[in-house]
Amino acid sequence: MSGKNCRCMCQENDDKHPFAQLDPVIDLYKDKEGSLIQILHIAQELYGHLSLELQEHIAGRLNKPLSEISGVVTFYSFFSTKPRGEHVIRVCLGTACYVRGGRKIVEALQKTLDVDIGETTEDGKFTFEVARCIGACGLAPAMMIDNVVYKQVNINKLDSILSRY
Amino acid sequence: MDEVKIKNIADLEQIKEAYDEKTASCRYQVLVCSGAGCVSSNCGQVRDAVNDELHNLGIQDQTLLWETGCMGTCAAGPVMLILPERIFYTKLTPETARQVIKAHLVDGKILTEHTFYDYSLEQHVPKIDDIDFFKEQVRIALRNCGIIEYDSLDAYVSKNGYLAAAKAFTQKSPQEVIDEVKRSGMRGRGGAGFPTGVKWQAGHDAAGERKFIACNADEGDPGAFMDRSILEGDPHTVIEGMMIGGYAIGANMGYVYVRAEYPIAIDRLTKAIEDARRRGVLGENLFGSGFGFDLDIRIGAGAFVCGEETALMASIEGCRGEPRQKPPFPFQSGLFQSPTIINNVETFASIPEILLKGGDWYAGFGTEKSKGTKVFALAGDVVNTGIIEVPIGKPLGDILFNIGGGMRDKKKFKAAQIGGPSGGCVTRDNLNTPTDYESLQKLGAIMGSGGLIAMNEDACMVDTARFFMDFIRDESCGKCAACRIGTTRMLEILERITQSEGEEGDIELLEELGEAIRDTAMCGLGQTAPNPVLSTIRYFRDEYEEHIRDKYCQASVCASLFISPCENTCPANINVPGYIRLIAAGRFIDAYNLIRQENPFPAVCGRICTHPCEDKCRRRTLDEAIAICELKRFAADYAYKNEKPYAQDVVFPRNGKRIAIVGGGTSGLTCGYYLVRIGYDVDVFESEPVAGGVLAFGIPEYRLPKKVLQHEIDLIARAGVNIHLNTEVGKDITFKALQSQYDAIYVATGTQFPEKVNIPGENLAGVIHGINFLKSVNLNQHVDIGKTVAIIGGGNTAVDSARTAIRLGAKKVIILYRRTRDAMPAYAQEVQAAIEEGVELVELVAPVRFIGGRGGRVKGIECQRMQLGDFDKNGRRKAVTIENSNFFIDVDSVIPAVSQYSDLPFIKKSEIGVTPWGTFIIDDKTMMTTMKGVFAGGDVARGPDTVIRAIADGKQAAISIDKYLGGKGKMNKGAPIEMPDNFSDDEFVEHNRFAIDELDPDKRKNSFDEVDLGYHKIRAMAEAMRCLQCDRR
Repeated sequence: MSGKNCRCMCQENDDKHPFAQLDPVIDLYKDKEGSLIQILHIAQELYGHLSLELQEHIAGRLNKPLSEISGVVTFYSFFSTKPRGEHVIRVCLGTACYVRGGRKIVEALQKTLDVDIGETTEDGKFTFEVARCIGACGLAPAMMIDNVVYKQVNINKLDSILSRY
Repeated sequence: MDEVKIKNIADLEQIKEAYDEKTASCRYQVLVCSGAGCVSSNCGQVRDAVNDELHNLGIQDQTLLWETGCMGTCAAGPVMLILPERIFYTKLTPETARQVIKAHLVDGKILTEHTFYDYSLEQHVPKIDDIDFFKEQVRIALRNCGIIEYDSLDAYVSKNGYLAAAKAFTQKSPQEVIDEVKRSGMRGRGGAGFPTGVKWQAGHDAAGERKFIACNADEGDPGAFMDRSILEGDPHTVIEGMMIGGYAIGANMGYVYVRAEYPIAIDRLTKAIEDARRRGVLGENLFGSGFGFDLDIRIGAGAFVCGEETALMASIEGCRGEPRQKPPFPFQSGLFQSPTIINNVETFASIPEILLKGGDWYAGFGTEKSKGTKVFALAGDVVNTGIIEVPIGKPLGDILFNIGGGMRDKKKFKAAQIGGPSGGCVTRDNLNTPTDYESLQKLGAIMGSGGLIAMNEDACMVDTARFFMDFIRDESCGKCAACRIGTTRMLEILERITQSEGEEGDIELLEELGEAIRDTAMCGLGQTAPNPVLSTIRYFRDEYEEHIRDKYCQASVCASLFISPCENTCPANINVPGYIRLIAAGRFIDAYNLIRQENPFPAVCGRICTHPCEDKCRRRTLDEAIAICELKRFAADYAYKNEKPYAQDVVFPRNGKRIAIVGGGTSGLTCGYYLVRIGYDVDVFESEPVAGGVLAFGIPEYRLPKKVLQHEIDLIARAGVNIHLNTEVGKDITFKALQSQYDAIYVATGTQFPEKVNIPGENLAGVIHGINFLKSVNLNQHVDIGKTVAIIGGGNTAVDSARTAIRLGAKKVIILYRRTRDAMPAYAQEVQAAIEEGVELVELVAPVRFIGGRGGRVKGIECQRMQLGDFDKNGRRKAVTIENSNFFIDVDSVIPAVSQYSDLPFIKKSEIGVTPWGTFIIDDKTMMTTMKGVFAGGDVARGPDTVIRAIADGKQAAISIDKYLGGKGKMNKGAPIEMPDNFSDDEFVEHNRFAIDELDPDKRKNSFDEVDLGYHKIRAMAEAMRCLQCDRR
């Protein structure tokens, strides 16, 4: 079930029909029993997140109440109602990293990026999260940006790491 | 090969023949594992390299290159198996893979250095059938994983794939299929263990216009990765199992619910379904039987609760994954209000084999109530993490140690978590438990889906419980109050406890909450949520109590409860990061003084301490632990050479109270030292002509020069402790006299008496017990050691005796030990040093009798061979005699060293509480015996234990005695020492420990010169700079 990876609005959509790209998908699955979750997966692939407008659109096309769609979207952790950043920063706060200053890194990032944990920066570049343990305890304090693990992160070097993105 | 559409059994046979022919036509088959673990380790690059190399060598047409599913040894990936020789290559890179291919396929050579390495045997085992990890497995659900190409339907058919379904649909009735499954005794492998045959019967009997069969591939347990391995390695077996199930109950449509976190499994299963449809094994009129069946995949979206069957069905229907009440059960009203049967991936994967080979065959494995085999995902601190399948009922210890290869880094096993967040822990003294449904339930655990996480001594059980509860609370769907509110409250309590805010009554509250949630939650998630907490409380209550009462985390995990793991683990709580930082700053005398605040024997401990701190050093996770012990020695030796000759410890003014200490060993002298510094008059009574106890008599000169020991004893005497040598309490002065003349008494007489081996001939001349032998040597008395010496035992006294015997000129010294080298209690470095000096270690042997010769002197030992049997309560395998294995060795001397005990001739046993093994009963906190004003510590209260523990006891006793006599229990630590701030912001560079010089083995075995030469100043400072300074926040 892989859709396209782009996160921006594509050409086929336009201001009047912002979700036009999704409509053929909805129609394909409309009559299959219980396919809402599949539709939502594809929608999120196409648009990056499931905004209220998108949920309303899907509800309308499937002829279901918005509350039902919204109820499903908010239940599952895979679905996001807020835009996700281009890159996801995960600071590890497992025990080894915590003791080696993981919290200071969290505080520093909160200040530099002006975001709280779980939120995305204004410019949509970074989503900031905390991880339980990414298993790189020998490299504490550790941080991941997308799939790259940064080891022994130094607060003073944070700016140079972020500037690579 | 042209695709053959499968219309009947004959078509299956045709495909199988063609496939087997193609396989047989090639000289070699190279199987590259493409299980998820290997994929993450870049097996794709290895496969490409192999493919490329085959082309380079021009042998690509004579070699089959297959990508298979998981072979099971996930920690050793990427792996590759080459047939027909069946050689198993591990930890491959694209380069080494090329080398292996060229060597094996062209030169006919096996590069053993790239084959599987068995850490317990300490050797490579090239042939896969010889490897213990595989030998003990019975692979039924996993029968094709790692053996066939995962994406080839023809490969599946060549292993009798779809034959079971074809025969079932054309030759059996649905009821006959159900009966076969019933005969097999198969129980649901998802965790609940419900009899599958009974479930299918219910589905069959249910009335409904349409019915469904569903496969639960949600596998949400942290630590479980069995189902994904099956889906990714052998997707067709799941398809076949489901269609057989569909046939049995009368369902024509099936759903596989796969969690969204498994994109590889989703891709591979999707392709398998497409292939199956195209080739005619999914769709209408299968195998000409008239029965039609199709499958659809439904993807989850990140909700653990959707592994619960009613939530799963809700999710398939596109709704919120909230569970609902049962009844109605799924077989009555399930998906889309129709009868539905749901089974786990592993259950379905076993069905085709059960039908082909018969239910009775499957029932031949396992135990009476739990038939068949189970797939486990071994994870955590074992050596061989990965996927295995064993007959149900295999003892847990066998799984962890024989197959799992034991614990990594030679750490001690602590507990195994079975059943994930719904399960419980199994402890060291239950290693013989068979892993079947009933036995595990009795222990408070569950079989669960098969996730088996091994934890070593570095795991904090309270933190583990907190981790699982955190997970569960996050995943709770929120529908019922019991789970939604209950798990939150339990988590809050656990978090308080791990952050040093635990309160009295918290444990009872957790138990009460846990039981309430278990009884009232609506679904399985809530009902089993309290299990990890209740299980850890049941087996590790003392850990909870330590966290709450003493704010102490013995595993050094809960960071709020300690400064650094090293300081936390040291029984005497020496400020380790502090003194290391001082050494790094060049302030060696200050480092020495900082140590002496907590330990008056730094030079001694720097040489002979067991250094439990180094086992917990966080630097180990990077390269090697800091040489904490060696650095302590450096600081002490430096101070000895450079300190002002009349440096004196600051001592409070006399307070007029008098303390008597019986025993001038480590513990007694430590207690006396700290008491004298806060103003007490202290008299230490020592029966021998020299003070020091074990330090003076039990430890050989080459490990601890007497000069060094005497210097530290002199400093203690100089502080004001009166040491009366040659004065035995009970002879030269009575205990009653002490009681009347002193305000309090501390008894620290140690364990001076050797345990007997208790076999005939122990009284022969030439048989001298270890501690008596070492004492005689240390007192410079002559000992006639003869030429051939046998030492009985495996502890430090045994090894010390062996190395001393070598130095006394014995030509042949052997140690006879009942178990194996890795089970010896002696320090590993000491054993290694002994072997380097020429001592022979004979494992798995026990003496039966000592044989006397001329003049009543021992001349030989009759021995018996041993083998390792079941596990004892400490998690070590018991040694069991092998019948009729007796043999003889010739010796002139025997030194038995099999533990010690204490005896207390100066106190009547009727007056004071004594344990069955002769030690004093003391209060845990105050260390007072049952006799008022009489305290005890060290070995006499604990049995044989370490020096640092005796020091910690002595210090604690001083605090307790002060409190008993009206003081505050505050020690005089001297002037505070200012800490340097030399933390470097530079990135850490990997660097092993700076080497410690030792005397050469050939030279040192002829003298009693100190073997360990200590650090030079430069190396000491460099080593100290490796410290990660974990105390900084």
